[in-house]
Parts: sequence; C-alpha cells; structure tokens
Amino acid sequence: MAVNVGNDQLKTDEMIINMGPQHPATHGVLRLLLTLDGEMVRNVEPVIGHLHRAQEWQGQNRTWFQYQALIDRVDYLSGMFTSWALARAAEHIEGIKISPRAEYLRVMVSEMNRITSHLLWLGTYLIDLGAMFGFPFYPFREREKLLDLLEAVAGQRMMFNYIRIGGVQCNPPLGWFDKLKRFTEEFPDRVDEYEAIVTENPIFLKRTKGIGRLSKSVAMDYGVTGPTLRASGVNLDLRRTKPYSVYDQLKFEVPVLEGDGDTWARYTCRIREMRESNKIIKQCIEKIPGGTTEEIRKLGDEANKDENLKLMAKKQNSGLRVKAGEGFAAVESPRGTLGCYIISNGSDKAYRFKWRNPSFSNLSVLPELLVGHPIADIMAIFGSIDVILPDVDR
Amino acid sequence: MTVSTSTSNKTQSYGVQSTGPANIVEIFKFMRLTIIWLSIIFGAVWGACWLFGVVLPACVEGFGLPAEISQTIRYFVPLVAIMVFIPINAMFMVLFERRALALFTVRKGPNRVGPDGLLQTAADAVKLLLKEDITPRGADAFMFTLAPIIFFAPSIFGCIPLLAAATGDHRLFSIANLPTGIFYVLAASSIPVVALVMAGWASNNKYSLVGGLRAAAQAISYEIPLVLSLVTICLLAGSLDVVEIAQQQVGGFLHWNILGAGKLLAVSQASPITFVTAPLLAICCILLFWLYMTGACAEINRIPFDLPEAESELVSGYNTEYSGIKFAIFFLAEFTNLFVVSAIATVMFLGGGESPIPGFLDTGFFVSVMGTLNSLLQPVPALQWLLNSLVDPATLSCVFWAVTKIYLIVFFAILIRGTLPRFRIDQLMDFSWKRLIPLVLILFLAVAYLRELV
Repeated sequence: MAVNVGNDQLKTDEMIINMGPQHPATHGVLRLLLTLDGEMVRNVEPVIGHLHRAQEWQGQNRTWFQYQALIDRVDYLSGMFTSWALARAAEHIEGIKISPRAEYLRVMVSEMNRITSHLLWLGTYLIDLGAMFGFPFYPFREREKLLDLLEAVAGQRMMFNYIRIGGVQCNPPLGWFDKLKRFTEEFPDRVDEYEAIVTENPIFLKRTKGIGRLSKSVAMDYGVTGPTLRASGVNLDLRRTKPYSVYDQLKFEVPVLEGDGDTWARYTCRIREMRESNKIIKQCIEKIPGGTTEEIRKLGDEANKDENLKLMAKKQNSGLRVKAGEGFAAVESPRGTLGCYIISNGSDKAYRFKWRNPSFSNLSVLPELLVGHPIADIMAIFGSIDVILPDVDR
Repeated sequence: MTVSTSTSNKTQSYGVQSTGPANIVEIFKFMRLTIIWLSIIFGAVWGACWLFGVVLPACVEGFGLPAEISQTIRYFVPLVAIMVFIPINAMFMVLFERRALALFTVRKGPNRVGPDGLLQTAADAVKLLLKEDITPRGADAFMFTLAPIIFFAPSIFGCIPLLAAATGDHRLFSIANLPTGIFYVLAASSIPVVALVMAGWASNNKYSLVGGLRAAAQAISYEIPLVLSLVTICLLAGSLDVVEIAQQQVGGFLHWNILGAGKLLAVSQASPITFVTAPLLAICCILLFWLYMTGACAEINRIPFDLPEAESELVSGYNTEYSGIKFAIFFLAEFTNLFVVSAIATVMFLGGGESPIPGFLDTGFFVSVMGTLNSLLQPVPALQWLLNSLVDPATLSCVFWAVTKIYLIVFFAILIRGTLPRFRIDQLMDFSWKRLIPLVLILFLAVAYLRELV
C-alpha cells in the first residue's frame, strides 16, 4: 500500500487481499479475492469449490440405501432437510403416501433441526461481529439440548439419517415427547434472553442497521431464498406458499420484513422464525396421531396394523429400489429452498441427481452486497446471509 | 402405565438436562483460585523485596561494608519487585480472565492442569517458550524482533511510579516516585503503539499491516480523551505526583476523586451555591472515570475496541505472524497493560490503597492484628523480629486495598469483554472525535470552574 504524496494530491494504491480459504470468519473454505482501497472494499470475487465432493455423482454411484445416509452431510447443520427433500422426490416417483404420524414426526424433527441451525447461526454471527467470548455460548446451550433430543431419536447428533424414503426410521424413545414439550415451554424465554442481550445493543445496532442492503429485485434476480429473501420483503416460504407434508394443518406465521433488507432485518427474521418453529413443534406434540411413544406402546400390535400410525412404507435394506421415472421435490430448509431432482431407471442406483442448494444462490449475491463497505462489514454481511460451504460446493 | 414410568426413569440420560444456575460451585472455585494465585504472587514479591530491602543490606552491614553499598542495594527493590511481579501476574491474569469468561458463558474454563487448573497458564507459558521461533519469509527480521520488546518495555518502566502509590509511599519504594509521576506514566503508555505499527509492517502480511495502521489511528484518537480525563483529575488534585494524589483521597469513599475529592462533604458548611456545584462536580468526576475507562480499553486494545487484533476480520492483526516467545511477550504485555491502566484508575479515581469505609479493614485493623501477633510471639524473639521486619501493617493494608480495587476493575473489563461486540473502525473514530473529545473538553472546563465554586 504505497502512498505517494504529490504536490496537491494524495494518491493511494489498491491492495488485493486473499481472504480465505483458511480464515476464521469465512465459515469453512470460502475464498474471497478482495480489492481494497484502504479499508474499503472495491471489488469482491468469491472463489468456491474447495469443498466440492461431487455429491450428485456420488449419488449416481451409490445405492439408494447408501446415498440417503450420505446426503445429510451436504448441509451439515440441517441434515433433516436434505434427507427430506430426497425422500419426498423418491416418494413422488413411487407414488407412496406417507402415514400422518410419520409426516408429523418429520415436521417435528425438521423444525427442531431448523432451530438448531438458527441457533448456531446466531452464535457464530455474534462471533463474526466481534463478541468473541460472551454471548455465543448461550445459543449453544439450547442447541445442545435439542441435539440431545435429536440424538435420542436418530442415534446421531448431526448426520441423522432419520427421514428415509418411505417414512421415518423409528418412533422416538420413551419420555422423548415430555422432554421436547418442556423444551418448547422454556425456549421462548431463552429467545427473550438472547434478544435482551443483542437486539437493543447499541454497538450491535450500529454494526447491522443499514448494512448490506439487499433490495427485493436484486434478491429475486439472484434466486436468493429463505430468511435472506424474506428479510427483503418477499413472501416466499414453501411451507406456506406451496404447503407440503402437514404444514397446511398447522398454524404459524411466516415472518416477512418490509423495508431495507439489511443485516438487521435478516437477524430479526431468523429470531422470529425460531419462535415460529417452536410453535410448530408445540402444535405437533398435541396433534400427532397416536400421541406419545408411551401411548403407542400401550396399543401394542394394533399400532402396527393402523395405517395412520405406520412409520415406514418401504423396507429399509440394501435392496431398496425406486421405480423408474423422474421426480422433483423441494423443502424449505433453514437457508432457503432446497430442491432435489431425481431420474430413476428402476435399478438400485439413481440414474441422475440434481440438487438445488439454497446456499449456492444466496452466496452468489455476495459481491452485490459487499462492494463499498469496509472490511469489518464483510463479516457482518457474509455472516448474515448464513451460508454453509459444503452446501455451496456440494 | 406403570411400566412406562419406570422405563422413562431409566432414559433420563438423554434429552433436556437439569437447568438452573448451578454456578455457585464454579464461583466458589473461581474465588479460591484467585485468592491462591494472589497470595502466591504477592508472597513472592513480598519475599523478594524483603530479601533485597532488609536481609541483604543487613548482611552487608553485618560484614562491616560501607552504608552506601547497602543503600544502593535498597535502590534496586522497586526493580526487583516489578521483575518478579510482572511475569507471574500476567500468567495469573490470563487464567483469571479465562475462568471469569467461562463463568459468564456457562462453561467451566481451564480446570485440568494442576489442582483445579491452577497451573494452566504456567503450562501455556512453557509451551510457548518451547515453540519454534519463526520469522516469516520477506519479513524485516530486525524490526520483527524489536517490536515485541518495544511493546513490552513501556509496560515495565511505566508502572514504576505507581508502585510507590500502591505501597503507600513505603520507604523502600519512595525512590520510585516522581514529582511528575502521572505525566511519566502517560508518556510511557503511548510508546507501545509504535511497536504495533512496527510489528504490522515488519510481518510482511497484509492483515498485519492493516492491523498495525488501525492500532496507530485508534491509539492517537483515544489517547486524547484518556489523557484529558487524567489531566482534569490532576487539575482537581492540584498535583502530578501519584503518591500525593493517592494520599489526598484518604478518609473513605466520599473523599475519592471519582466523587469529587471530598467536595460533597463541604456542602453543609459552605454557601448555598455548593448544594448545586458539589453534586455537579461529583457527576463530572464520575463521567471522567467513565471516559478514562473507555479510553483505556481502547488504548490497550480490548473488546469492544480490539480492532487492531480483530480475530474475525484481520486474523489477529499485528500479531498474526508471531509465534513462540515473541507472541508470549505480546501476550504478556497486553495483560500487563490491562493491569497498569487499572492501577492508574485505582490511584487517580478510587483512592489508591485507602479503605472505602474508614475503620473497615484499614491500617488500624492491620496494626491491631500485628499487635496481637507480636504479643503471641513474645516468647520467641527471633520470630518476632522476622515478623516485624517482614510485615509493615500500613503497607499491607495499602497493598491489600490497592490490589482489591485493581482486580475489581480488571474483572469489570473482562465483563465488558464477555458482553459487547466490536465497533467498526469508522464508528470507532466517530465515537472518539465526535463524542468523547468534546465531552472531555467540556468536563475539563466544568471542573476548572466548579472546583473554585465549591
């Protein structure tokens, strides 16, 4: 950054910084080629692909049974949603109808997963903003409880493999519903706690209000989805606009923020979504056919015969096959619209996979947001669009 | 139903664990750790000072050597005290900070090395000493090595005048006092920024360069409110001598500079106008304290003003490329600086080594304890001599209160660190130039007038 002082002008050179792939704030292995003028960003070029694992190609070379265990690793913070998209697309080809109990269980675990994902985002976002030590641990406290519950039902904390083609894997263990209910009762207070620390914090407001404005039209042009889009004022939530599963039987609001679409709006949108997800889980606990696991146990053999309570419509073993045909299904993941397109030729492997990952489209809008902001805002903006790098690179 | 309840009891191992503040145990452990470490630190410093200030000169005189030699040895006592104190104290402060942050964030903190984690930072120090000392390719090796030294040195010699104030002008330490003490301390504390720019530039790393430049901009901006707030206190006290400023605040917390140096007590006797001016002066002084703490946090690069380091943006800024002993020195100096600014705050605003309430654990109390001990040790004259040469009750009470206050301020700084996010650089500059500096100038004028009117 050589500075030449002329007679009447101060000339500065631009500096090119290579931010990432090894950088604490790029959430994995994103590489940003920044052109800086002093502290101001003049140009950004995201370089992706460091984590490319050819997930689609792997899907074409693995059996259905193997691939549905592999696919939750794509977006490791919300594995339920990738499994769900895959399962729904395959069920679309098969023409299977899933029992209401399995659908309710799917909604419950997915909404729990959505809360864990948003909680992790909240903690890491505050780290991006420089609150390195204090706040970030509080969301993780609640996330831990939810992960324990998810572990109890799926046997794994992040790579669940719980939602399968044809239903869900099993009933939750005994006592699970009570614990989940207790969690849903205390969770709104915990969110109030976070808001008390963060939402009105003057430094937080200064760092987020009016930063990284994403207008409606730009967001739609780039195919941005999820909370990032809803914070810009577009009402697009597949759970509401194209209801799947049992979402049409549940009462919940989709937070859409009119206004700037700045990082503060995206923060607010996610906070509200956590509250709504909590409401959905609460309703599911009340409405689920068959009730708690204890009640199902009491029914005994009747539960296995009842079509409403049957969990799995297809046999889960290495001979799992899907009929020939093509199908598409999309779900609303914590990051946006997650689509799965399958062509099956009836063998034990799929003929073609195509995933539509929300993080990829959301990341593509980054240069539009960053140019003209100082370095410190890169983290505030990049954190606020909530990108998971394996989800971008697949 | 009975079956299900019995099985659900067995499945308590997963799911929502018991919540609630079970932190009492952790708080107790934290306090125990603090007391143990502080006893170790001050025991070591006290012992070293006793050896150099009492035993060694006595031996020298016992051999019949001239009194000048024993006097010269006594002159080295402040130096020895600081040399012993700074490394151990910085080690303790790192542990103190980590455990305190763990308390704020529902964690346990380091509790594995040694009994209850007591030796964690000692182990860290050993690790850093054994690490390879890397100078990056293309770096200016001389400057790269010099930077940590220049960063650390001022924090050593800067705190020398404070030693006299914190020990109540003990005869062994009064040599460390200067008539312009606070001026000297401030001059010393403005040197480290040069080292930060050097470190940033010499590292041959763009992040470090940006960090170093940020450090320069920030230090220049925040030194003004910092110095002006202390200048205002000097104006109020009428002295630059830290010992004198500390001794003026004797007599309970109402006499402290933070509450207007005893002017609140003058209200009832003086003219009616003092009913307005004295509280106003106190408010001004509280604001000055707040301004000083803000400036000090920025000066020593702590959250929310840690922009030169900014782990999430600049990957630790100026010390990105440092490793091993050089990094350890940076780390040591940062914590020593925190201790020094807390010590300045204690001496200038919080009455130095004075008890907040007269009669509560003050000098008289320590004198009476010493008297009791003396009478108990009556049968053993050797022990009595040892005790009387080792412990000076006035100094003990002074050090006790000074250290308590300093560590309370340190704790407060850690609490801030555990709460706030980081400013952005332009907001930081705005905050200093548009808010703090006008405010401190107004306060300067206000105090200048109000002290005449009270």
